Amino acid sequence: MGQGEVLTPEKQAERLKEDGNSYYKKERFAAAIDAYTEAIALCPNVPVYWTNRAVCHRRRNNWKKVEEDCRTAIKLDPNAVKCDDLCSLVARSTLLSTHEQAHYMLGLALLQREEYAEGVRALERAMELETGANPTGKNMVEEIWQELAKSKYILWEKTSTQRSWELQSLKEACENALREKYFLDDHQSEGFLDETAAACNAQQLDDLDKVFKKAGEDDVPSEVPDYLCCKISLDIFRDPVITPSGVTYERGVILDHLQKVGRFDPITRAPLEPSQLIPNLAIKEAVQSYLQKHGWAYRTD
Amino acid sequence: MTSSSATARKALSKIACNRLQKELVEWQVNPPAGFKHKVTDNLQRWVIEVIGAPGTLYANDTYQLQVDFPEHYPMEAPQVIFLHPAPLHPHIYSNGHICLDILYDSWSPAMTVSSVCISILSMLSSSTVKQRPEDNDRYVKNCRNGRSPKETRWWFHDDKV
Repeated sequence: MGQGEVLTPEKQAERLKEDGNSYYKKERFAAAIDAYTEAIALCPNVPVYWTNRAVCHRRRNNWKKVEEDCRTAIKLDPNAVKCDDLCSLVARSTLLSTHEQAHYMLGLALLQREEYAEGVRALERAMELETGANPTGKNMVEEIWQELAKSKYILWEKTSTQRSWELQSLKEACENALREKYFLDDHQSEGFLDETAAACNAQQLDDLDKVFKKAGEDDVPSEVPDYLCCKISLDIFRDPVITPSGVTYERGVILDHLQKVGRFDPITRAPLEPSQLIPNLAIKEAVQSYLQKHGWAYRTD
Repeated sequence: MTSSSATARKALSKIACNRLQKELVEWQVNPPAGFKHKVTDNLQRWVIEVIGAPGTLYANDTYQLQVDFPEHYPMEAPQVIFLHPAPLHPHIYSNGHICLDILYDSWSPAMTVSSVCISILSMLSSSTVKQRPEDNDRYVKNCRNGRSPKETRWWFHDDKV
């Protein structure tokens, strides 16, 4: 290390990062964290030092630190270049850029402490960045989706319970009002109300029941419509793509098919190459709007 | 007796599990005509009862299909065989193996258990003779070690029957 003195702080920081990476590979997370911390002290503006350190914190289940480091990394450089660094050591994260990874891990950290709304936002951001990335190869959409869907489902459970409780009490209030009105009318006419009035009241109560059933319909779990599901996975779309035959599939699933089964459209059997897949934005929007209304459809089990 | 279970099977992948659960729900709501799924808690092996279509050689005959799903279903075809006794048919061997292209080379992940069943029933229905394939004895002898039909190099007889 005779040339140590001539090294610029940038170069020293890079070396420290490399040290950190090799500690990480050996699962020596504390040593890796020390190395990244030194690198950060020298060059605090390099996002990858922060995200690499966050990856180590994550492995140690120190989610508070994960969150802090990710937030710093996100603030630093929203257009960070693809890193092929530590990320490539972490099998799960091979494909994320520093920036995506920061959002992804921030989301995970927030979900750890049950900050669902904000956690979901971070994951949505990561998902958005990731759907554009590497359109013909493997990406992390599915992993991010799984985490996202889990939290969205929890959020739905919470809000839908509240909603159905409100609806139920409103319904009871309306029913009571109708019954009371009938009673008052009956009283006013001194018992001369005929059977039609009684039938009318019964009909109104019946209608009221229907109206409330309709109002609560969206929150009742059922089947996702077929046209919002991939014909192969039978699951709701995350990143739908359309083939020249006009059939829409989930990107990851159709790519898997093209690689493992054959270069043809699974339904029409027309020849198909990965480069021919086009994002189906209309279906994607339809899925988003469906999910917004029917949170139960996030159920992944 | 065929020993199709001789090949040890790997557990279903998450994707396979997911898809099979969905197929099962769909089957229960909307089963293909002429088929009955025998309920078990084994998602990886379905046993399905087939009733020959009216007006065909197999009318009122009842057979049993056994469908085994590989780890990477639907990127790989399921293994589909008839349990003993297999129907007498020019494309069905006495050990229950079925010579049908979509079960092997022409499999597509967009096909489902339900669509496979319909293809098999249509294969039965269009048959004009109740007889075994010409090479039945030779083929069955070759399979005595419990070989799966998916390991056979099929040449498909024709597409008329």
